[in-house]
Amino acid sequence: MFEAIFEFLFKYRPLVFEQGDFAIRAPWAIALAAAVAAGALTLRTYGRVRGNSRPLDRGVLAAIRLGAIAVVAFCLLQPVVVLSSVVPQQNFLGVLVDDSRSMQIADRDETERLRFVEDRLRAGGDLRTALEERFALRFFGFSTETDRLGDLDELTYRGTRTQLGQALERAHEELTGVPLSGLVVVTDGADNADGGLGESLLPIQAAGIPVFTVGLGRETFDRDIQLSRVETPRRVLRGAALVVDAVVTHRGYRGETVTVQVEDEGRIVGTEEVELGGAGEPRTVRLRFTAAEEGPRLFTFRVSPRPGEMVTQNNVRDALILVENHSEKVLYFEGEPRFEVKFLRRAVADDENLHVSILQRTAENKFMRLDVEDADDLVGGFPTTRAELYRYSGLVLGSIEANYFTPDQLRMIADFVNDRGGGLMMLGSQRSFAEGGYAGTPVADVLPVVLDERGADGEEDFFVEVAVETTRAGATHAATQIAETEELSVDRWSELPPITIVNPITEVKPAATALLTSAADDLVVLAFQRYGAGKSLAFPVQDSWMWQMHADIAVDDMTHETFWRRMLRWLVDGVPDQVTVELPADQVEPGESVTILATVGDANFEEINNSAVIASVTHPDGDFTDRRMEWTAEADGEYRATFIAPTEGFYEVRVEALSGDELIGEDVTYLQVAPSDAEYYDSTMRTALLDRIAEETGGRRYTPETVDSLADDVQFVGGGVTVVEERDLWDMPALLLLLGTLVLGEWGYRRFRGLA
Amino acid sequence: MPVSTGRRLGRRWAAVVAGAAALGALAATAGLAVADVAPCNTAYTGQLVFVRLRYDAAQGRRCGPFPQFITWAHDYPRAERNLTRILESVTYIDPFQGPYGGNVLALDDPELHKFPIAYMSEPGHWYPSEAEVLGLRRYVEKGGFLIFDDFWGAHWENFEAQMRRVLPDARLLPVELAHPVFQSFFEIESLEMEPMYYGLPVEFHGVFEDNDPAGRLIAIANYNNDIGEYWEYSDTGWVPIDLSNEAYKFGVNYLMYAMTH
Repeated sequence: MFEAIFEFLFKYRPLVFEQGDFAIRAPWAIALAAAVAAGALTLRTYGRVRGNSRPLDRGVLAAIRLGAIAVVAFCLLQPVVVLSSVVPQQNFLGVLVDDSRSMQIADRDETERLRFVEDRLRAGGDLRTALEERFALRFFGFSTETDRLGDLDELTYRGTRTQLGQALERAHEELTGVPLSGLVVVTDGADNADGGLGESLLPIQAAGIPVFTVGLGRETFDRDIQLSRVETPRRVLRGAALVVDAVVTHRGYRGETVTVQVEDEGRIVGTEEVELGGAGEPRTVRLRFTAAEEGPRLFTFRVSPRPGEMVTQNNVRDALILVENHSEKVLYFEGEPRFEVKFLRRAVADDENLHVSILQRTAENKFMRLDVEDADDLVGGFPTTRAELYRYSGLVLGSIEANYFTPDQLRMIADFVNDRGGGLMMLGSQRSFAEGGYAGTPVADVLPVVLDERGADGEEDFFVEVAVETTRAGATHAATQIAETEELSVDRWSELPPITIVNPITEVKPAATALLTSAADDLVVLAFQRYGAGKSLAFPVQDSWMWQMHADIAVDDMTHETFWRRMLRWLVDGVPDQVTVELPADQVEPGESVTILATVGDANFEEINNSAVIASVTHPDGDFTDRRMEWTAEADGEYRATFIAPTEGFYEVRVEALSGDELIGEDVTYLQVAPSDAEYYDSTMRTALLDRIAEETGGRRYTPETVDSLADDVQFVGGGVTVVEERDLWDMPALLLLLGTLVLGEWGYRRFRGLA
Repeated sequence: MPVSTGRRLGRRWAAVVAGAAALGALAATAGLAVADVAPCNTAYTGQLVFVRLRYDAAQGRRCGPFPQFITWAHDYPRAERNLTRILESVTYIDPFQGPYGGNVLALDDPELHKFPIAYMSEPGHWYPSEAEVLGLRRYVEKGGFLIFDDFWGAHWENFEAQMRRVLPDARLLPVELAHPVFQSFFEIESLEMEPMYYGLPVEFHGVFEDNDPAGRLIAIANYNNDIGEYWEYSDTGWVPIDLSNEAYKFGVNYLMYAMTH
């Protein structure tokens, strides 16, 4: 509207004045002399006139008359705006059209975004015609890749990503060497490239090439629900109980309840309902399900589509989770015979993915070994070397005093968490925590709770029976889920019979999280923290077996078993092996390059930089690709290789590391190669991005409604072969209006004052 | 089912000591009644507490000529008092040690579930009510461990019958020397013990989880035996030390096994 009014008054659009320089064509001295003479004559005339006029009247009338004379004088000066204008048909214009799937979204009057291209840029379209009259057009289609097009009928709108920066770079390179007036980008701006846009714009800015952006689509949808984010672990143990947060956003469905479900390759394994809040307000849904089947499993998270949704493809997200079926090793060191050993063993006995080896001190220098894997395991007592201890993923310390360990063993336990990435758990007893003399030891640094230095001074024994309740974090944490739903789990915790505590711990460390507390006292019952590469847990309870044996517990109640299985699984979750492999993403597009990263450590988990590391990639059709991985030199023990995933399907990536002929270890991961749905997420038009591109390059942003001036604008703004052009300003309607206003004003004033 | 093989008198000490032991036991337990025993129980503090199961030896089946002789209380409390002393001195177990050695609880007492090991004397005279049967069944199914002691000969029939009521699907099977219960602390080299009752051979029977002899032992029965008696008189000089030691080994091993399996 503003531009239209401006153009009506000043003959040209603001862009012309922005780009041009003001000049006067007539000899200014003559015009000035004529104006001065006319002015002098005016002043003299009004100076002599008396009649019934007052001095004020004569002053006002003289000023109006002088104004009118000035307007006429300005016109007589023949003012012009001097522009640099591209020479028609001697310059090129690159037209880049978004060829991605988001162009199929029908969000403007139920019309697909691509209709703009089809109607106005295809041969015969008005915009195409206007551009062709001035420029030689070169077309590009861009999505994942950028392709030079013979014409726009080659567009398919099936691209799965929008790589805007890459498209600009490619078009710029392609048109280097020709007189280029600018680049026109027709897109919704839903750029979902991994890299930043800034670097792509630099060479274009340096070359002075303006980029004109034409934004398609709506900045906000009226009605849409989107599953914005789902965060899952990349690998879990079979049977793991997963708690996954899914973030749902929406517009237009405030107050409605939607169902979010998770499917394990088609089988629904979890469902949760959520009431939607205000428009754009994210709502987090906590989904609970079990990874029951081993192998690479594709879990699909889905929000049921609602009537009237503009985009339904963004209601679904996939996550590839490797469900492993090996047994994680946990060492439970118990310093005195007590029932925790018996009941913990029973709790995890049927869990095929947990192997808990128990070292039980039964008397001075006398140990009982239970559930060891080899006859020689732990035969010398608690491990004395890192290599021996680091064979385990988790370590549980029961009623064992700090003085039992040598200083090096205490350091080793701390390193087990910090360096090896293992999980440490300390149980309550008179020989653990502060009461066991751990304050001031390296183990105390690792623990998530603050130990009272006076704890081991032999003061009066602390003993309290407590009922347990969950904290806010504990209500939702994976390790403390002991029932089917979050609510049931919280209720179940509050129903459990009391346990007893002899370690008065009331404070967790700043980085730690309390999951369970005592209902009446202010005692910590369960807390954890991440420490270095691993994590630690404090469970100052001496008789969790009460949750199995207590008279209030039903015979078939599985709470105790569930608690320990989930707790120990969580303790060892994510604990790395000597050799690990990971991929930056669990899904890539066909033909995309994939980077494999591996880390290799020795038995002490010291990084090895000279290992022979081989990545074997098994393609969906069974073919093999072997890649020798090279040390990156960026981090100790880190190796890298790349491969191209040409076809859709699941790829297995197996990495083996050798030291000489000896196998250090191996690891496997999986990759899904499939077209991405990224185009459908956050697929509204990105005005800010398009503005930025235009502003940083000297171009402009248009909408389908304002794009009519594109051809004119490029003509004046663009580079290439140009000529200097003068455009008259004397005949601007604004001047005529001003002159008319002044003359009428003088007449009106006379009438008003009775001077005519 | 083990069968009584005769009434041969025990060897050397048995004839001499039997009368005195009976008198001693009588003296130790004389006048004991339920009301007298229960108040002596200690509250749960996390310590191991030796629990003796109390039952009603009804139907006039008293063991012995004296009406105040209570079968479940044979060897009480000296047996547990001595055993807990031994436990404390030779192992890292920190048992409750009081004047009565431990707690006395009924089979259907909810408190029983706070103490996962329980000892029963004279199961030959044990006639539990339905509530007691149910209580003990729940106790065992949740993880409680039972030690039966001090019964012989025809007592077996009643013991087996009552166990069938408590655990209908369970079978009483011999416990072999190779079983971990006999190596859980002391390495017991032989199951042959000096006959306690009239020359009847000592036998060890047990109930295994899922009736699998290789599985977890959930109850053990010292048949034709009375190791509690050895514990009781171990500090009197009436019993040879080596026999008392053997009895303690079994007791310590039972407890150690039950705390870890």
